[in-house]
Amino acid sequence: MRRDAFLSRVAQATLTAKLPVPPVVPDAPLELPPVDLVALFRAQAQAVNAVVHGPVTRHGAARAVAAIATGHDATRFLAWDDVGASGVVSALTAAGLQRIDHLVPSGSRREHNLSYLDVDVGVTGSVGALAESGSLILSHGEGRPRMASLIPDIHIALLDTSRIARTLAQWARENGDSPEKTANLVLVTGPSRTGDIEQELNLGVHGPRHVHIVMVR
Amino acid sequence: MTEPVAFLSRAEALIGSPEAAAVARGAKSFLEKRDTARDQFPLFDDMRERARSIRLHSLANLDRLLARFADALEAAGGQVHWAEDEEDANQIVSRILGASGARTVVKSKSMVTEEIELNSHLEGEGLTVVETDLGEFIAQLAGDTPSHIIAPILHMTRQDVGRLFSQKLGVPYTDDPFALNRIAREHLRRIFLEADAGISGVNVAVAESGSIVLVTNEGNGRLATTAPRVHIALMGMERIVPRWEDASVVLEVLARSATGQRLSSYTNVITGPRREGDADGPEELHVVILDNGRSRVLAGETAEILACIRCGACLNVCPVFRTAGGHAYGTVYSGPVGSVVTPGLAGMDPWWELPYASTLCGACQEVCPVRIEIPRMLLELRRQAAADGRLPRWLSKGMARYAAVTNEPARWRRAKRWASRLSAPLSSRGWLTRIPGPGRGWTVSRDLPRPAAESFEKWWRSNRET
Repeated sequence: MRRDAFLSRVAQATLTAKLPVPPVVPDAPLELPPVDLVALFRAQAQAVNAVVHGPVTRHGAARAVAAIATGHDATRFLAWDDVGASGVVSALTAAGLQRIDHLVPSGSRREHNLSYLDVDVGVTGSVGALAESGSLILSHGEGRPRMASLIPDIHIALLDTSRIARTLAQWARENGDSPEKTANLVLVTGPSRTGDIEQELNLGVHGPRHVHIVMVR
Repeated sequence: MTEPVAFLSRAEALIGSPEAAAVARGAKSFLEKRDTARDQFPLFDDMRERARSIRLHSLANLDRLLARFADALEAAGGQVHWAEDEEDANQIVSRILGASGARTVVKSKSMVTEEIELNSHLEGEGLTVVETDLGEFIAQLAGDTPSHIIAPILHMTRQDVGRLFSQKLGVPYTDDPFALNRIAREHLRRIFLEADAGISGVNVAVAESGSIVLVTNEGNGRLATTAPRVHIALMGMERIVPRWEDASVVLEVLARSATGQRLSSYTNVITGPRREGDADGPEELHVVILDNGRSRVLAGETAEILACIRCGACLNVCPVFRTAGGHAYGTVYSGPVGSVVTPGLAGMDPWWELPYASTLCGACQEVCPVRIEIPRMLLELRRQAAADGRLPRWLSKGMARYAAVTNEPARWRRAKRWASRLSAPLSSRGWLTRIPGPGRGWTVSRDLPRPAAESFEKWWRSNRET
């Protein structure tokens, strides 16, 4: 009932709304001159303070991830079940890191959340990337916790270079149903940042301070 | 009759203050970054045209889009609430929190929650509400209000923040922004993870999928909507587009216009609560759709202002905002957009004066990512204010007299002679530096050339034959 009353008031308002005539725009996608997407992605991701590695082979990915984690002296990690390359989790545990379980237990949500406090590294895959903005596209769900790219100070993401699109508008046009497929889709463009204090750039305010992207061929 | 004193007196107190200077610096820097982003993106203007088209179409079909959005969101397991006004919205949020037994709430930056003064309402009910955007967190600690849509504490210095943190958080004084940032991170970490509910706004909603999109740089918007069991999103009813593809066009121009970023650090697309088997996410998602005067605005002459995507570029470019700062407006929505939105949402009384806080230079429309005709609507609101008899007597009488004089050649000639004579003793070296009476405001910060001794008309008569 509330809904009906609300919507009929809005419908009534649209009848007398003084709105300018919208500009007519072509339905065709907007095209940019072609470029090397891997090179553009690398440059733009670096421009937003991400560190880009590779491209490495699928076999080399695990070693690259372990090297990044140990380079930060990390001890605990949270990882997606499938990050897009095999052997990543075992390479990290072989390097002496402890994996933090991401399954929500039936018990206390609060306790489980707090267990993430000590996580140093989060390892994720990605469903795609945007060259023009240096963004990663993460689709969360079963075995793919949101927290992995959010709570630790270091986020390592694997990216299949064949999945790099040019712009968000282009990617969205080609993947119109992408939001319906998951409860949470996130575009990550560099590390967490703020300029709130005197507009001075600061990284790692609530999310990761370091974002490493391992490109995989 | 109300005098237009509130804006003027607030502005007068702020002009030349360190706060206004800090706002001006910040606004200028945002604008420069925005210009660079525009220059580096050849599709920027095409995207703006598309964004404008999408937003205007969305407003024209708002009822249908909202119905579709609600259906899709409910199908995804979310709950939709319809709030007619401020009080309604606050009560809905209270009810949801009450039903889930929530005590502590973390908030991600949201203008709508400030519009409805949600924090003070919830605090009045004994809840603990923590703002988590660094700027908003600082403003909350300071008991201050945000001065800019995008950068809430543009008006504070690092020393202000350092003193505040050492006072309120009991940490040793530092004015190093990086250290201050880490202090806030440590302080808020546990609060995030232990909070019972997270409250956010909505930047864009997608009707087709029932998704809400939240844009943040710090990651607080993600934490607040991931860690707690309940997520409540408050959304102005106009914040909707038909499809994900349309949302992507808006997102292409939003961050570029706001901060000069190609995209903000996190563009968070939420479609319903955590799904069966998902590793994390809230168990409940509530979206509160707010009218609060918007349908009244939509029905009228200023409907187009609802196309705004809240980037803040019109604030940064506005000479009035840059001189006086956001606090001069005395409202949540400041700057050019605020001067149209506020009288619309909150009523011409007492906000009718805000449309006068503009030079009508047109820079706001020029910079707007959806090219909203802000100057047209400022003029329209001025016309309404005058028609409603809101102008002070000296101004309405004065304008009527001015019209009477300029419409009658003989009177106009006499007036020119008098102006020239009367201004002679007031001027020095050809300039009027101080006019008494109602003209005083004109000469506080500028000089006027004194009227010529001989009128052009007279000069023309004596010179055209030769």
